[in-house]
Amino acid sequence: MSRIKRAVSLYSYQDSYARKRMNLEDMFKEMKDLGAEGVELISDQMIKNSPFPTQESIDNWKNLCSKYDIKGVCNSMFINSTLYRNRRLTAKEQTKLFIDEINCAADLGFDLIRLVSQTLPDVVEPALDIAIKRNVKIGMEIHAGQSFDQPMTEQYCEMMKRVQSPYIGLVFDAGIVCKKHPNVSAEYFLAQGLSPEVRDYIDAIFATGTDFHRYVQKNLGTTEYGKRTKERLPKEAQALIKNPIDLEYMYFAESYENTPFEELDEYMPYLMHIHGKCYEMTEDYEETSIKYKEFIEYLNQHDYDGYIATEYEGNRFVQIDKEVNDKEQVRRHQMMLKKYLGE
Amino acid sequence: MFDNYVFTKDSCRNFTENGKIAGFEMETLITYYRGIPLSMVNEVRITVDGLPVPAEFIKISADNEQWFTLEEMETVTFYKWEYGEPLHIRAYIEDGLRKGEHDVNLFVSIWPAYYPMPAGGTRTRKVTIA
Repeated sequence: MSRIKRAVSLYSYQDSYARKRMNLEDMFKEMKDLGAEGVELISDQMIKNSPFPTQESIDNWKNLCSKYDIKGVCNSMFINSTLYRNRRLTAKEQTKLFIDEINCAADLGFDLIRLVSQTLPDVVEPALDIAIKRNVKIGMEIHAGQSFDQPMTEQYCEMMKRVQSPYIGLVFDAGIVCKKHPNVSAEYFLAQGLSPEVRDYIDAIFATGTDFHRYVQKNLGTTEYGKRTKERLPKEAQALIKNPIDLEYMYFAESYENTPFEELDEYMPYLMHIHGKCYEMTEDYEETSIKYKEFIEYLNQHDYDGYIATEYEGNRFVQIDKEVNDKEQVRRHQMMLKKYLGE
Repeated sequence: MFDNYVFTKDSCRNFTENGKIAGFEMETLITYYRGIPLSMVNEVRITVDGLPVPAEFIKISADNEQWFTLEEMETVTFYKWEYGEPLHIRAYIEDGLRKGEHDVNLFVSIWPAYYPMPAGGTRTRKVTIA
């Protein structure tokens, strides 16, 4: 029997929320129906004026958690380092914004925040005392394409290993254990003019048991986030690019990683939470591109006892004016988790 | 990837100020998945029947009360464009859109903190002015 618990990230319902198909309470009703024990929030998405919400908004959120007996397990936050046009915020300025987020999360009843990838340790460490005081743990997201090999992630992990605080750890996004590029992404880009040869090229690389990100790195070197130009792609990849969509597709293709499970071993002691990413859930409750069965087996072997929060992201790849069926996709993902968790 | 959220259907119409048509307006949802201060909006571009509206003729508002030019927008850090709420956009074109059918295109992009590029979307709609 697994010790892993199920949660839903409200990120999954963003289209329903934006188009007023579901309000916060509708989502809680749905999660209750699914038997989820936890909920993840992006306060910037569904709590007005975050990180300074009104007391009324805070009370409303906490009341929903207690009414439906669903625990707020993680708040996903951001630091608006691009607030000004003429410069990035300094580390000290970012720390100030980060502290506002810690306080906001604590006020909303969370004891964990998801720190966005690419946040410098110099921003995080000075806020640690306040995080401890407010009992809010900090977990930086390990997201495919911005994962362990990226300089800013490496710097954070170095700090995490040096400080050894139970308040500093990691959040894994399941997109780091993909076995293929999601079909829904390929279909979306094909409709925009993607050359089928580019799709086939990426698929063939995944079929060898690796991913495009690792393939590029092995063949050429820099895959640093934000520096992924056409020129540093392998020659045969460059030759396939016929239009801007082809290049864009190759860029996004690095956002799906097939990380060997043993590479996760050294980070397992720091794991606080998991984003159960899904792009496409089939009618028989399978995710078409992520190795969930193996991933959950791995987590069980390592006695992970936290939450997996369903994070549906196939919404990005729905064709124009087609309905996003986020509610059903989340339901299927929760059913899949039930199956693999042995519930 | 955010084209679906740009330029809310049926939101484009002429508006009046001081009893006179002062231009046309439209609404859009954000091309991102969370709310941000207005200073993080990167670009707002409008074309009508293929002709661009000059940037200095455009104003935006998150609350439909306080309006900012695109230049002013860069310093608006107090007010957020909330997720799921419309941004109101006005183009100050004397007498507004003429009677008849127009192809109106809106392009919006924002500058999220941790993306290497702006997140944008675009949409053209047929707009009929009676």
